[in-house]
Amino acid sequence: MNTSALGALILSVFSVGNVWAEDIVVIVNPTAASISKEQIADLYLGRSDAWIAVDQVVGSVIYVEFYKKLTGRDLAQIKAIWSQILFTSRGVPPKQLADSAAVKKAVAANPKAVGYIEKSALDASVKIALVLD
Amino acid sequence: MSFNPISVFGTSMLALGTVMAHAGATNDWIDQNVTFSGFGTLGVVHSDYNQADFIGRVDQDSGAGYSREWSVTPDSDLGVQANVTLTDALSGVVQVISRDEVDGSYTPNIEWANLNYQVTPDLAVRVGRMLLPSYQHSESQNVGYTLPWVRVPIEISYTDTAEHSDGLDVLYRLKTGALNQQLQVQWGTTTENLPGPLFNDTRAHILLFSDTLQYGDTSVHLVYQKFDASQYPPIGFRLVSAGFTYDPGAWFVTGDGSYTKDRFFGDFLAWYVSGGVRLGRFTPYAIYSTMEAPSTGTSGLMRLGEDRTVSAGLRWDFVKNLDFKLQVQQVTLVSLDDPASFANLQPGARVGDKANVVSLALDFVF
Repeated sequence: MNTSALGALILSVFSVGNVWAEDIVVIVNPTAASISKEQIADLYLGRSDAWIAVDQVVGSVIYVEFYKKLTGRDLAQIKAIWSQILFTSRGVPPKQLADSAAVKKAVAANPKAVGYIEKSALDASVKIALVLD
Repeated sequence: MSFNPISVFGTSMLALGTVMAHAGATNDWIDQNVTFSGFGTLGVVHSDYNQADFIGRVDQDSGAGYSREWSVTPDSDLGVQANVTLTDALSGVVQVISRDEVDGSYTPNIEWANLNYQVTPDLAVRVGRMLLPSYQHSESQNVGYTLPWVRVPIEISYTDTAEHSDGLDVLYRLKTGALNQQLQVQWGTTTENLPGPLFNDTRAHILLFSDTLQYGDTSVHLVYQKFDASQYPPIGFRLVSAGFTYDPGAWFVTGDGSYTKDRFFGDFLAWYVSGGVRLGRFTPYAIYSTMEAPSTGTSGLMRLGEDRTVSAGLRWDFVKNLDFKLQVQQVTLVSLDDPASFANLQPGARVGDKANVVSLALDFVF
């Protein structure tokens, strides 16, 4: 058995399957400059504070899927990264908002804010920076 | 008890928090501006070597092996933290931690207590108590959940007996294309605390420069540190250290090395390399760590602090915010003068002796 097959087996034994069919879109304010995928990843991994990241509820389906698609990391890895930043006084994790409507509202109100929502929740109050499919 | 402004500041902040928490009218302000968080480790260590105590931190005076076969003291700790946002530019942090101290007590100790003033988005000035970024994981070594291992390899922390600096630091973020740098200058004083009356409450001045470079999944941490204590013993060292990590998510490699020139104790060289693979919720890893003393100082002690360790372990993220770790390691004694991994070295100890150590740890964050 090779390691990826072993990994897949371990995953299937210990993970709760997340069924997520819809695309996630990273959104910014309509007046904002463009932002690259690398810049978005740096922002959500606490490596940059050039923008203001807005987050969904930790552990929610969209949260888990967003970090997996953007950074290749799971919930525990993201928690470890932000715990290190928090407990070494280098920053605090992005503010969590209740749902996509709240994220959209926050991004529409702040030219420096970056957020992510389901593609179906998109409207003209914000613009797409990146599609994660 | 001597007057300690940091303790007074920390206690005042906690007292203020308690008073405010009891005042109903300010509850909204606290909800908006104060966040509480914490971390801890429940660990147990077994060593089969009865001629010395295996320890988890350099400042511990006992552990597993000689005093007792099993010990909970090397790794167990509990920390709580409050972050306070005062204005858009001004924030504060207090972190209190309880763990096995030099005197064997678990008396809570203030690790961080500072005010941070954000002068511009890229420039911050902090005043108060800060942990020293002497090597890659020195600021987060108490937070087991943030580490891939049970603990940071002890050899690299051998000269890090002064963990905090009470003073001032300036942090500057510099962005050059995709390269993010964080430059830091720290200036302050510290109290050295090592087992034995010789080193207690030795006051020292610290000056430190560090640069943390981040390029995607690669990071490099560079440090120059100057440490001077005027009292006896006249510890005065210059430390340079360089650490790197490459962590694309599915696996990681990391390493750290430091060279210390100390006129009293001589020179030390400490380094480690480590790698691991993430297989779903399991992260197996291996570490090689060592420390050697290529020269002696005016103290006349020979071959200070030498040992080498081979470790293998597994981290299991079995449930949200909790991990379980198992680590096995073999430590080889290369010198009988204060090897990094041990305290209470007995007369029966010989160069070349090996200790087989098993550690279990449960780490949590909240």
